[in-house]
Amino acid sequence: MDPNETRLTDGVRLPAPTAWPVVLAFGLTLVFAGLLTTAAVSLLGAVFCLAGCVGWFRQVLPHERHEMVPAPPVPAPAVTSRTEVERIEIAREIHRARIPIEIYPVAAGLKGGLAGSVAMAALAMLYGLLSRGSVWYPINLLSSIVFADALHLPETYLTSFHAVLLLVAALLHLVTSVLVGLLYGVMLPMFPRRPILLGGLIGPVLWSGLLYATLGFINPLLNQRIDWRWFVASQIGYGVVAGLVVVRQQRVRTRQFMPFAVLAGLEVPGILEGKEEERSEPQ
Amino acid sequence: MSSESMPIAGAGNLPGAARRVWLETLHEWLITVDHKKLGLMYIGYALFFLVVGGIEATIIRIQLAVPHAHFVSPEVFNRMFTMHGTTMIFFVAMPVLFGFANYLVPLMIGARDMAFPRLNAFSFWMTAFGGLLLYFSFLGGDGLYGAGSAPDVGWWAYAPLTSKAFSRGHSTDYWTVSLLASGFGTIGTAVNLVATILSMRCRGMTLGKMPLLAWLNLVMSGMLLFTITPLTAAQIMLMVDRYLDGHFFDTHAGGSAAIWMHFFWIFGHPEVYVLIIPCFAFVSEIVPVFSRKPIFGYPVMVAATVAIGGVSMSVWAHHMYTIGMTSYENAFFVLTTLAVGVPTGIKIFNWLGTMWGGKIRYAPPMMFCLGFLFQFLIAGLTGIMLGSAPFDWQLGNSYFVVAHFHYVIVGGILFALFAAFYYWYPKMTGRMLNDTLGKWHFWVFLIGFHLTFDFMHIPGLLGMPRRIYTYEPGRGWAIWNMIATIGVAFQIAGILIFVFNLVHSYFRGRVAGDDPWDAWTLEWATSSPPAACNFAVLPEVRSRRPLWDLKHPEDPDWKYE
Repeated sequence: MDPNETRLTDGVRLPAPTAWPVVLAFGLTLVFAGLLTTAAVSLLGAVFCLAGCVGWFRQVLPHERHEMVPAPPVPAPAVTSRTEVERIEIAREIHRARIPIEIYPVAAGLKGGLAGSVAMAALAMLYGLLSRGSVWYPINLLSSIVFADALHLPETYLTSFHAVLLLVAALLHLVTSVLVGLLYGVMLPMFPRRPILLGGLIGPVLWSGLLYATLGFINPLLNQRIDWRWFVASQIGYGVVAGLVVVRQQRVRTRQFMPFAVLAGLEVPGILEGKEEERSEPQ
Repeated sequence: MSSESMPIAGAGNLPGAARRVWLETLHEWLITVDHKKLGLMYIGYALFFLVVGGIEATIIRIQLAVPHAHFVSPEVFNRMFTMHGTTMIFFVAMPVLFGFANYLVPLMIGARDMAFPRLNAFSFWMTAFGGLLLYFSFLGGDGLYGAGSAPDVGWWAYAPLTSKAFSRGHSTDYWTVSLLASGFGTIGTAVNLVATILSMRCRGMTLGKMPLLAWLNLVMSGMLLFTITPLTAAQIMLMVDRYLDGHFFDTHAGGSAAIWMHFFWIFGHPEVYVLIIPCFAFVSEIVPVFSRKPIFGYPVMVAATVAIGGVSMSVWAHHMYTIGMTSYENAFFVLTTLAVGVPTGIKIFNWLGTMWGGKIRYAPPMMFCLGFLFQFLIAGLTGIMLGSAPFDWQLGNSYFVVAHFHYVIVGGILFALFAAFYYWYPKMTGRMLNDTLGKWHFWVFLIGFHLTFDFMHIPGLLGMPRRIYTYEPGRGWAIWNMIATIGVAFQIAGILIFVFNLVHSYFRGRVAGDDPWDAWTLEWATSSPPAACNFAVLPEVRSRRPLWDLKHPEDPDWKYE
């Protein structure tokens, strides 16, 4: 083939058809087939192979054989009935449904978590007071996550004060509350329309549902002692308070809005409008 | 219209004249070196074997439809799943993709033919004779019980099952030798495609302005050159073991069965990408035309394909988690397997980005592309699940794997191939495929596909191993197997509609014209079907969409690229 060929008026040169490739392929297949049948088949295949190779060489040496085919008529110019071209507008605002360009600082999550923990603790102790006449009951239940044997003891034990259990329960409660508060701080900007609905209601209800469905398998004794209405109420109390505290904090801009060149630390003039304006101001 | 239309009809009135025309036609096709005719021969050959492999799949599904079935004997069942897998991969999927590549690549890059036309013919005939040799084993296999028998060692042909002690006669040798023969054809085609794409592009077509189909076939061909060779080496080693009493895979004599697994899967897993990358190419050409938008993120699509080509060659041992590799090896192959999902995901996002805001036309090519997108996504997700070693330890070699694999091969590759048939059939024949039949084909096949392969995941999760001949009732597998078999009936109906459409439209279809889809790549700039020399005048391009530039001289693409 001649890659430089562009226009021929009296015909086009193409490689001439030839039987030798199929002869060689047939011969080679027979050589293989002889391994499966009898040596005579391989011998016949070798003859075909030899003939195929010789014939093929003579097709291309000393000069490749060609045939002239008539040049087809030049087709009509390409046209379209769809003459109108619509350009898709590229929005000036950056759409960021999932990665916000403004987020809450870490401190917002900490504050929200701590505030939520107070609300949850208050509701839980109210439950203990109303149902068992003791604020220590929910505290001792929480500590049974670590001290599993506490659940085997009589209820009087669970309704009385124990310093170690209080310490363990407080630690569990604070660590978990702060971690969930931090999670709220990260997640709530991703759902900017109704953060309290998500963080204060939907999240706690889903979490409570998951626990309700699985706690019976994980810790059946604890499951028997939980009043699920109060549990859901305390979760919602935590969520609403933590959410309210978080959303009242001042947001900070992330580096997401910056051009790649800035993020990569490149010194490129003109990539930040503000800086350019500063430079162009008269001294 | 060109005078090159296929000379089948109109053979004259006299029987002698008719016979002469047929013989001349047969001779013309036998000695041709024209890339278009060879492409059509690849496609026709693959369609024939698609029917053969489909019949084998149907036999497998009937046997498994109910517990304790005896539709075929265990020996025949083993042959059926071996021949089904081997046929579908080596003699359907690869040839049909080579056929499309042969037909389309020179047209799309503005060339008159492939770089090595005679090698092209040789490659086709090696592939064709390889397939015929494999099926000759039904007559000449000389199996264990004296009768002719086909290979029955599975399409992986794991050692030591392939040793002479467990596989008497020549049935396994037929498998080895026929794949070795067709492998010559595969390597020839890969070399030809690489040379053609790198050296035969028309003026102005830099690599950055090349159609994605050509880019993706370049990557696929490059991968083939790396991956076919280990398989060929392993087959020669197996022949040495079987013919010359070698010990490569004989564990009693210092060999290793795991070596075969490594060699096979160094070929086997990239092979999945060898098959899917040309399908990505079809989708990348069809989705823009039917969304009336240029492809979204062309450079990223190319980069993602190259990345897939590279990373996919380092994931092979995720097929071998259960052989007891070290935790470091497991971790490496888990990570590479997860990594290959990233560029694949980029491609899916880019196709969605192409459709986003476009004026989508729901013609059959686009419908099959949409089916491909959804199903390939699911296939990729179950692939990620199986790529995780602990998950694979539980479900490796179960029907969950079979379902995942068929989601890739049927839900991905076959759907994209159907899209390609509906899209390029008018160019190949000058006739449009019937639109209504195409939509019937899509919906009936879609229902069949999901009935079979969605529900096939469940017996896998319930512990049904692959390749079992039958099973006990009461294990919860029966209902899912029955549904899967019913799905096959729908798939057969869909294929029959498709074949009828191919034949009927060839004779009675609407005349297509040169550019029926109002498309933008060079193959639509020539007649349908194209003349022997492809183009009256070799084209010159200035952008990735040369026909757009011609149709919209006031707003050409080259202003923006």
